[in-house]
Amino acid sequence: MSLRPFILGLAASFGLAWLLVVIVPFIMMRNLGPITLTKETDGAAGIFYPKRSGRIVNGAKVYAENGCYLCHTQVARPTYAGNDMYRADLAGLARDPERGDTRRETNAYDFEGETFAQIGLTRMGPDLANVARRFEAAVAAKGGGGDPAAMFYAHLYDPRRNPETRKSTCPSYRFLFTRREIKGQPSNEALPFGGDATSELLPSPDAKALVSYLLAMKKDQPVPAALNFAPPEPKAAAR
Amino acid sequence: MSSASSATALSDATLRAGIDRSLRHPVMFFLTSGAAWLAVSILLAIIASIKVHCPQFMDDCEYASYGRVFPAHINTLIYGWGFQAGFGVLIWLMARMSHQECRAAGTILTAGHVWNLVVLLGTIGILDGRGTGMPWMEFPAFVWPGLLLCYCAIVVWSFIQFRVRDGERSYVAQWYLLGAMIWFPWIFITANGLLFCASTHPLMAAAINAWFKSALMFLFFIPIALGTAYYLAPKLTGRPIPSGSLAKLGFWSLAVVAPWAGMQKLAGVPLTGVFLPYLGAAATVLLAVPLAIAVANILRTIFSSEEKLPKSPALHFTLAGLMGLLLLAVAAIALNLPGSSLKLTQFSISGYGFEILALYGCFSFMMFGAVYFIVPRITCREWVSSRFINMHFFFSAYGIVAIAFGALFGGFIQGSAQEAWLQPWETVTDVVRPYAAVSTFAWCVILFSNVFFFLHLAMMWLGLGRRGGAPTLMDSAAEHAAPASH
Repeated sequence: MSLRPFILGLAASFGLAWLLVVIVPFIMMRNLGPITLTKETDGAAGIFYPKRSGRIVNGAKVYAENGCYLCHTQVARPTYAGNDMYRADLAGLARDPERGDTRRETNAYDFEGETFAQIGLTRMGPDLANVARRFEAAVAAKGGGGDPAAMFYAHLYDPRRNPETRKSTCPSYRFLFTRREIKGQPSNEALPFGGDATSELLPSPDAKALVSYLLAMKKDQPVPAALNFAPPEPKAAAR
Repeated sequence: MSSASSATALSDATLRAGIDRSLRHPVMFFLTSGAAWLAVSILLAIIASIKVHCPQFMDDCEYASYGRVFPAHINTLIYGWGFQAGFGVLIWLMARMSHQECRAAGTILTAGHVWNLVVLLGTIGILDGRGTGMPWMEFPAFVWPGLLLCYCAIVVWSFIQFRVRDGERSYVAQWYLLGAMIWFPWIFITANGLLFCASTHPLMAAAINAWFKSALMFLFFIPIALGTAYYLAPKLTGRPIPSGSLAKLGFWSLAVVAPWAGMQKLAGVPLTGVFLPYLGAAATVLLAVPLAIAVANILRTIFSSEEKLPKSPALHFTLAGLMGLLLLAVAAIALNLPGSSLKLTQFSISGYGFEILALYGCFSFMMFGAVYFIVPRITCREWVSSRFINMHFFFSAYGIVAIAFGALFGGFIQGSAQEAWLQPWETVTDVVRPYAAVSTFAWCVILFSNVFFFLHLAMMWLGLGRRGGAPTLMDSAAEHAAPASH
């Protein structure tokens, strides 16, 4: 085989796949436009273009730098690709106290604000797409006006401290916290654990960014009809 | 023998000696520094693997956190060991097959040093918490242009040697090596350029990253492994490759199928082209065809005669690499069937098992075979101890079988536990633990085997090899036996 037909063959075989699988989808997905809502299908006119609150960019950077994507995923796959939708708390809450079943598949707008969707490599730990909703529900169930952020800080500091996650293999991110001597009044950012009479435990800026990012991990907002794949509501049985 | 053919034989030997002498320093540099990075990578793998079943291990060291140690392990395995072993073997093979001496040894050596520096800085970056979070591209963003420039400075000479070779004919091994040389920059620039220098939807960025992982495996590392095997098998056994048309079919089927693979890691993810992951799954399943064709062809070369095979270390490692390739072909099918196994393996450790099987079980074994073949020729010394070679071979084989089966099988178990939606998530963590322990043990065994390799290679590098005599074979009793086919 001489060089010229070889190079041409290589260019053609690779180039076709490169164009169709990489370049064209790259260009097509560059500017995902908003979805137009209409009165008939969605109840009101307008557009669907959700924004996420919280420190998404900084938090995603800390998430990436510390390798959270190695063990956690952020996607609820449709039922043809896995059983994620059947779990009671992965894709939303099956029994949300106010809204009933809020589970839904991940859609393309769920990664707004990030440059690289941390879909994740393995599920050594649970999926994180709705972890904030889970923590909020746990805090509400316990009563007493707790704070889901404190749950996140506690988990990051020592995942095995909580008896419910004592077998967790999540690394301890103690290096994201600083211990400081209490001068005068305790800081209002001091964590409710890890301190004593003279010192307090404070989250570093990285920890605060990461927890802010994780607190935005809720994917249960209403979606337009175009993205709603839930089965139709059963009509009230006529008895 | 007539005087004409003996004159030809002498001039051939002189040419070969000249090629070996011209490449001595670059190739030895790549092999020894690659081996050093392999040691680093395996140590990091052991630390990472221990943390999966025993997370309190080295708990207070920020730089040893799993999320940093694991990316450091995989990136040093690929860019520190994989690429440098590939470079050393590739430039020697291309020079030998083009019958051209290397006239740019100084440039190649400089580029090799810069490569090492850049990989070192990148590894420190990952451990310091500046990784990018993109699998197999976790080096900080300043690293990839440096790697690309060094790559071009190292590999362009082999391309020139091919162009100025005498005659029109080319060997099968040269197609695979040339293919790897051309595919890699295309893949690397695409992935790094689109992810670091351009912007797209975050999901598409993740998809291109998944495509990059698969393309790097199947369009760089596997072709170099196959090119090496297609060179070594006829050389070591003295038997020709039985079917040139089968070889052509094997190469072009790899070229056609492999670029479509990779996005199966994003099955169920809302990409605009929902079919893209399933296209990737189908392509990965079909990859079994070129792999099986190449393995069949090379095995037929080796076993084409009834005579006993020489107990050459290079042949042993090449055969082991071919078995690894066969296992990879089976795994490519078993892991990626869209209706059934893809759901189970998508987010499980079987992905890691598959990658290690490709990078160590196939590619590294072929590279070890090439090292045991090439180093005596460029240092003009023989390997000192057949026992060292035996230890390296058998313990590496045990280790890779343990990891491959443990992670591949364990991944299915983990996936089944994930799919059992009525069970709490604790079940999934419990189920993976034994396979993580197997993985730690296997990496320790592999480290043990490679200690012998490092010692042996260091001895050869320091000029302490055995002078003269018959080549060192794996059967120590046959040390005084027949001369091998050079």
